[in-house]
Amino acid sequence: MATEEVRQEILKTLDEGVVEYEEDQVKEAAQRALDEGVNAYDAVMNGLAAGMEKVGNLYDQQEYFVPELLMCADALYIGLDILKPHITVEDLGDKPKGQVVIGTVQGDVHDIGKNIIKLMFEVAGFTVHDLGRDVPLEQFVEEQLRTDSEIVALSAMMTTTMMGMKKVIEMIRERNPNVAIMLGGAPVTKDTADLFGADGYAETAGNAVQEAIKMISQLRQMQA
Amino acid sequence: MTEMTPKERITKLFKKEPIDTMPIFSGQGMVTVQAIEKMGIRFAQVHTSAKYLARSAMVTAEMFDFDAVIIPYDLCNIPEALGRGVSLYDETEGILYPTVPHKWDKIEDVQIPEDFLTKGRLPMIDEAFQKLKAESEDGKFAVGSYVLGPFTMAGQVYELDLLLKGLRKDRERVLAFLGQMTDLVIKAAKHYEALGADYISIREMGSGSDLLSPRMWKDMIKPNLVRIFETLSCPTVNHICGSTDLIIEMMNECGADAISVDHKNTTAESRKKLGDDVLLFGDFDPYGLLVQGDVSNVEPVIKKCIDDGVDAVWPGCDLWPDVKKENVDAYVQTIRTYGKQASPAVGRI
Repeated sequence: MATEEVRQEILKTLDEGVVEYEEDQVKEAAQRALDEGVNAYDAVMNGLAAGMEKVGNLYDQQEYFVPELLMCADALYIGLDILKPHITVEDLGDKPKGQVVIGTVQGDVHDIGKNIIKLMFEVAGFTVHDLGRDVPLEQFVEEQLRTDSEIVALSAMMTTTMMGMKKVIEMIRERNPNVAIMLGGAPVTKDTADLFGADGYAETAGNAVQEAIKMISQLRQMQA
Repeated sequence: MTEMTPKERITKLFKKEPIDTMPIFSGQGMVTVQAIEKMGIRFAQVHTSAKYLARSAMVTAEMFDFDAVIIPYDLCNIPEALGRGVSLYDETEGILYPTVPHKWDKIEDVQIPEDFLTKGRLPMIDEAFQKLKAESEDGKFAVGSYVLGPFTMAGQVYELDLLLKGLRKDRERVLAFLGQMTDLVIKAAKHYEALGADYISIREMGSGSDLLSPRMWKDMIKPNLVRIFETLSCPTVNHICGSTDLIIEMMNECGADAISVDHKNTTAESRKKLGDDVLLFGDFDPYGLLVQGDVSNVEPVIKKCIDDGVDAVWPGCDLWPDVKKENVDAYVQTIRTYGKQASPAVGRI
């Protein structure tokens, strides 16, 4: 078991490694966390996710842009790959978790926002069923039914494909009215999400990060 | 007042010479379902037939009294000619634009065939272009076209996340790749110029400051756009959608005849920054206004664009084909009447 001093040092190194997109630093710190006996979930939430929270703020302040976000996400993934196998059911306890079906709707091959949101769900302990991009609409319905997922997250980066979301929502509601549906992507507004009958939305890739980070922040507050 | 032909109106606008009223045109696709339905075809069919492509542009322009026809409608024709394939969604219900199914995931794999202009659907688009030119000889319509900018084109043929990360992690190779894309864009744009395009928009859509920092834009996007606009001799437009407030002055320094922005730009502020001598086009949301919005919203939005100082009211993106006819009629009518007043860069006869 690590001392509090070592724990804090490792968490700080993970946090800074994500912010500075230093993949090697994150890799080493994640391994050190395991070697020193730091709880893996603690390292993910208070190291990696805390770093990503700062990244979200830097994006919001226009210090970071999408290239930096993607590199930070890569650094986070490296740490997550090492730490995640060591997270136990007991670690997650009664914290929010579940299953998410995620994908970019048919006609849209932009998947950056979707991939970042996917990462955030994974960090938060959700099981993610990623359908990829350019996904035929009925496939969302089939996958939700197959996995009994609580959330379906749909992404569209173009106005021209956004209408597909409405159809998916209608199809899912018809088969299973209790599913929470999240929409994301540049053309999606709160009005559109309301009009389509969705439960939540993120306006842009950046906002999607913010929304996901808010989810993680809430999770961390609940944990504290 | 002498009434001009649409082509005269647009030609003079680009020369910043006095015109009779503001022309109704854009640098993006402007086909509508009303035209498609009138022709008795489906949307997916317009992308593969010179006859349908030309006819649908012409029928739309005639139906709504536009001043220009513009083709093609999809952004995949050049990637397809480079061997990246195309998904046309011809079996799918509703309207979906084609997409590129197979992007390169290694820069070293990128191959640009010398004869790419003869590949895929590009010869078909040439034929459609020739039809439109022939039918517009009397100045009935200006004939416009567009080519994606080098960065946006790169994102169409190479995985976008790799491209974006490469800007930071693999700078020299990505710069060389963008140079290669710039050569490609120049070759395609010169080709449309040779076919008689009355204007060409270079759509560097994915380079706004939602994605890239202004510093990165100056360093890696601007030099390529400068090179393109130096090469073209027909009227040109530098179009970027998304956040452009932070780069609007640099956009102007690229050397295009006009700048086009979308509704995320604070146009009144941009006009102040640019002064009154620069042609500025924009900036309404075509989906929100012409598809979703109530017809009563159209006139105030279009008037605001003009009041904010645009020289032509351009949609920020392609018209989503499923427009409400009454909304497009209101958009055209408002420009025809309210656009009779001089705009900052262009007087009236």
